[in-house]
Amino acid sequence: MELKKILVATLATTLLGAGVASAEQVKIGIAAEPYPPFTSLNSSGTWIGWEVDIINAVCAAGKLDCVVTPVAWDGIIASLNGQQIDAIMSSMSITEERMKTIDFSDAYYNTPAVIVADKSMDIAPTPESLAGKIVGVQASTIHQAYANAHFADVAEIRVYQTQDEANQDLVAGRVDAIQADSIAMAGFVESDNGSCCEIKGIVAKDEAILGKGVGAGVRKGEDALREKLNAGIAAILENGTHAEITSQYFTSSIFHE
Amino acid sequence: MELILETLGLAKSAELLSLSPPGWGANLLRGLANSLQIAFGAFGFGLVIGLFGAYGKLYGGVVVRDLLAIYTTVIRAVPELVLILILYYVGTDVINQVSQAMGYGRVEISGVVAGIWVLGIVQGAYSTEVLRGAIQAVPPGQIEAARAFGMPPFMLMRRVTIPAMLSFATPGLANLWLIATKDTALLAIVGFSELTLETRQAAASTRAYFTFFLAAGALYLIVTLCSGAVFARIEKWSRRGQPSLRGSNK
Repeated sequence: MELKKILVATLATTLLGAGVASAEQVKIGIAAEPYPPFTSLNSSGTWIGWEVDIINAVCAAGKLDCVVTPVAWDGIIASLNGQQIDAIMSSMSITEERMKTIDFSDAYYNTPAVIVADKSMDIAPTPESLAGKIVGVQASTIHQAYANAHFADVAEIRVYQTQDEANQDLVAGRVDAIQADSIAMAGFVESDNGSCCEIKGIVAKDEAILGKGVGAGVRKGEDALREKLNAGIAAILENGTHAEITSQYFTSSIFHE
Repeated sequence: MELILETLGLAKSAELLSLSPPGWGANLLRGLANSLQIAFGAFGFGLVIGLFGAYGKLYGGVVVRDLLAIYTTVIRAVPELVLILILYYVGTDVINQVSQAMGYGRVEISGVVAGIWVLGIVQGAYSTEVLRGAIQAVPPGQIEAARAFGMPPFMLMRRVTIPAMLSFATPGLANLWLIATKDTALLAIVGFSELTLETRQAAASTRAYFTFFLAAGALYLIVTLCSGAVFARIEKWSRRGQPSLRGSNK
């Protein structure tokens, strides 16, 4: 009889768990990893940071009812196409490669890619200087694509699941340098944890790989949602909300060009 | 108490693990609750599949037997991590497309439900084999005697086969349960906030990797120890009336 009770309870939970989604709620996917100062989890379990504030502002301006939904970065496009989320706003650069599978809104920030290494090391952001070195990058990022295209011939590229793991291996000396976003790295080298290291410089331009800034990703063909996000982004850039949120986290503008 | 922690140099860790906000203890416990919920669900769902699967393999027709053979072979051959990625991303997409084609609109599948389904299907393949072995270990004379009394199949299963096979199945099922509790950690890969992912996030945010991973290890150990005690009782109960066995853990 015990068994029967377990069966009934299990069937009930599995069958009742799936419900029809409320029609209007838009799930904004972010990577479920700390990526300060853009997205990070605080100890009470809520997501905070520049990008979370921007998401809320864009949704308010675009008249969308949004919920921030953390998903794995590695499968974030699969989650979007699998309809677990409706849009990606997780510092995802607009690149031609990604445009093949998803659509993007207009950019809401744009920052260059940099090389970070130990202060004592004489490294410049060029293939010649990185020859024979180990370069750490995060998986499925523009930095991985860039490093593979420009540095892989001469240097060893080591790929990490999260940016944080790459940072930790730089601190521990398991990689010689890392390539990542300039703002995230500015925050990292200023922290106690990243005090060993400094930004060595901006990598040479390659718009085909590095993209045209960071935008919100949506499923192909979902133009209504994309238009609303565009309207929201345009509105917060126009009315100063974007600049106001930025000033709370950064000392300079993070919208170049 | 505080003095002891201070002298041992553990005051920082105790603060990080405390239950109220500057500490991350509450997050870890929430992750543990999610893990246990999925483990319970998946184990139960797996038992249902296993029971039908075992009966199908033993008494089913040729087609049923072949289909079940394919199911248990494929599921046990592919690494669980790969199965989770396939079933989680592809499975939810397929369900949504079917539901949209039938005009029901989008179905929202929560992480818990998806996790229970995915791990349940994996567990089902293993418990099919555990239960099949246990049913075959029941002395055939007992089942024949029940048939001779004219018991219909379901009553035979309920009164004779299941009680008699339970003592053979319990050790295997206890193993499966422990595997289920630890397989929940694989769901971290799809961003489901169970204990392992909560631990990784807490560790990465505070840089106290050692503290948090040790704490998570301790939580998994506590689950294992409690489960061990529970299964020892179940085993004793299922073997009631049989001679005691040496080495059967109490």
